[in-house]
Amino acid sequence: MLEFDGLYKSYGANRVLDGVGFTVAPGSMFGFCGANGAGKTTTMRIALGLVRADAGEVRWRGAALDAAARRRIGYMPEERGLYPKMRVGEQLTYFARLHGMDGAAAARAAEHWAERLGLGDRRKDAVEKLSLGNQQRVQLAAALVSRPEVLILDEPFSGLDPVGVDSLAEALLEQCRDGVPVVFSSHQLDLVERLCDSVGILARGRMVASGTVEELRRREAGRLLRVVAPEAPQGWAATVPGVRVVSQQAGDTLLELAAGTDDQTVLAAALRTGRVTHFAWREPTLVELFREAVADPAPVPAGEGVAA
Amino acid sequence: MSEPRPLGSSALVRLVAGREIATRLRDKNFIISSIVIIVVLIGVMAFQVVVGSGSDESRVGVVGDASELGPAIQAQGEAVGVDVTIVPLEDEAAARQAVDDEDVDGALVGGTGAAPELLVKDRDSTMEAVVNGAVAGVAVAQQLADAGVDLTAVPEVAVSSLESGDDDGERVVVALIGVGVLYGLLILFGQFVAQGVVEEKSSRVVELLLATMRPWQLLAGKILGLGVLGLAQIVVIGVIGVVGALAFDVVDVPGDLISTVVSVVLWFVLGYAFYASVFAVAASLVSRQEDLGTVLTPTTLVLVAGFFVGLQAAGDPDSTLASVTSYVPGLSPLVMPVRQAAGEAAAWEVALAVVLMLVAIALVVRLGGRVYAGALLRTSGKTKLREALRAERA
Repeated sequence: MLEFDGLYKSYGANRVLDGVGFTVAPGSMFGFCGANGAGKTTTMRIALGLVRADAGEVRWRGAALDAAARRRIGYMPEERGLYPKMRVGEQLTYFARLHGMDGAAAARAAEHWAERLGLGDRRKDAVEKLSLGNQQRVQLAAALVSRPEVLILDEPFSGLDPVGVDSLAEALLEQCRDGVPVVFSSHQLDLVERLCDSVGILARGRMVASGTVEELRRREAGRLLRVVAPEAPQGWAATVPGVRVVSQQAGDTLLELAAGTDDQTVLAAALRTGRVTHFAWREPTLVELFREAVADPAPVPAGEGVAA
Repeated sequence: MSEPRPLGSSALVRLVAGREIATRLRDKNFIISSIVIIVVLIGVMAFQVVVGSGSDESRVGVVGDASELGPAIQAQGEAVGVDVTIVPLEDEAAARQAVDDEDVDGALVGGTGAAPELLVKDRDSTMEAVVNGAVAGVAVAQQLADAGVDLTAVPEVAVSSLESGDDDGERVVVALIGVGVLYGLLILFGQFVAQGVVEEKSSRVVELLLATMRPWQLLAGKILGLGVLGLAQIVVIGVIGVVGALAFDVVDVPGDLISTVVSVVLWFVLGYAFYASVFAVAASLVSRQEDLGTVLTPTTLVLVAGFFVGLQAAGDPDSTLASVTSYVPGLSPLVMPVRQAAGEAAAWEVALAVVLMLVAIALVVRLGGRVYAGALLRTSGKTKLREALRAERA
């Protein structure tokens, strides 16, 4: 297990992390969401030892991460970084060696990963001569070249075209299948929803939601009832007790029901206006969950979702 | 594939140093600058040889009896370091012809008479003085002899040097060249270190590096790697200089030459450790190569000041300025070698300067390491020294 446990961090009076904690099982992918400045990068930097936490620790296999354990982490920083004038192959070999591989093994691993990510014929080129997409691949190769036990990637998908996104996603899924826990942050929530076993939403330095995407969906908050009643007058649902109208466009209404309100009362009220062509609970997308979670300052403990 | 093994500090530092060396050895600018330095050095020595052989010889024609004037002119010439060859000439016409043909540099007509005349093509104050002195000397001797004064009674002055070194002048010149090379290499390699630090910051690769090592390991590897190159370069220059000087016969005392070169190389090691650390720390405060000039200027000025004090010390090695600055850490590598070469510095003085320098290096590395660690991950804009120190604690 990769455990982030009660991380606190302040810069002066500015509290960046306020008790961030989550767990990633080996072989699972954890999507880390949050608005800009929510503290995602700081959390990851703490795991890599680049920033010292005021309190809390990150554990891998039950032991707090130390320099030796960190060398087993593959890392992709948000600010991409490679030596611009160094050749691709040599650069990958160098990073593999910094992670503890001996010269021969490092060279082999560098060759392997360059080949795997379609950079085989660019090994002798300086990184600065590569296109941005290819530089991004080198960056990923630098994170994977040392056969890491843990992957921590800060915004790995940003700046990639759809093909690049797919090949990166494939590479990450493969690492997962090999039993590597993968943590990545992203603003592309559809991607997170598609790839991740579990998701954490960070807002103002707190985990406002975490769990599997299913768990988050099942939570009462954010669930909406969609009713399409073409003949219904404007404001027809406002009189039903325990119902809040989120939006109404012509006969298409989105309703939020207070706890304990029976959806059948709503249906009856709708039928009184005439025909009802659509009546269903709408599963919130991660985007909506995210908006709602980020908007709500109250932290919600992980996995507290209650099915309606 | 073998399992990755844990890395010790020394292994990491070696890896970083190895990368620095490999990168520089492939850098065209570095190769070219190294070759230029060596070519210039050989050029300077060749110039010395040419200039030396050119000015040391002079042909003076003498019309009439040269038996007394000839040796007198040669003796005068020797006193000012000119090898004079006497060419006997028939008459004034022959003298004019010889001067015109540049067969001789000058011709003396009527040297023993009342109105001696020196014929020259271009005026040459050295030759004029030499000939004047010789003519006057001969004339005075003649008059004294005529007056019956016994010239054998003139005592000869015995010369005994109080300095321990027999030829300090030459050693000082060698030390000056050495200090010049040392100054150039300190600036060059200081710049390399600074540019390397900023390159890692501006390309953000530093974040990946620091995920695998401590800031001081990165700093140490960088400074050591470039230091090995710098040392190799100054040793190559020293060896070429010594071999060349001996081959061209520019120096008289090889032992002194070698000891001076060795002391310059040792001072380079101390100077480099000091300046490379200061440059690296200063560079860590900025994120762009364009901003580098601003933070390096103060340190560069100290180096320039040290260089000029060193030049001044060559002329006056026991002046207060030279004595004091030869202890000041940062200045001492540029001043002390000159004083040592001049034989003005006692062993304890050199030892004191070395100890002070070592203390300064320890302080810079310690304090600088903290600034470096605090400033490295601040990849936007310029970091203030105090912020960096505070950030390291955070």
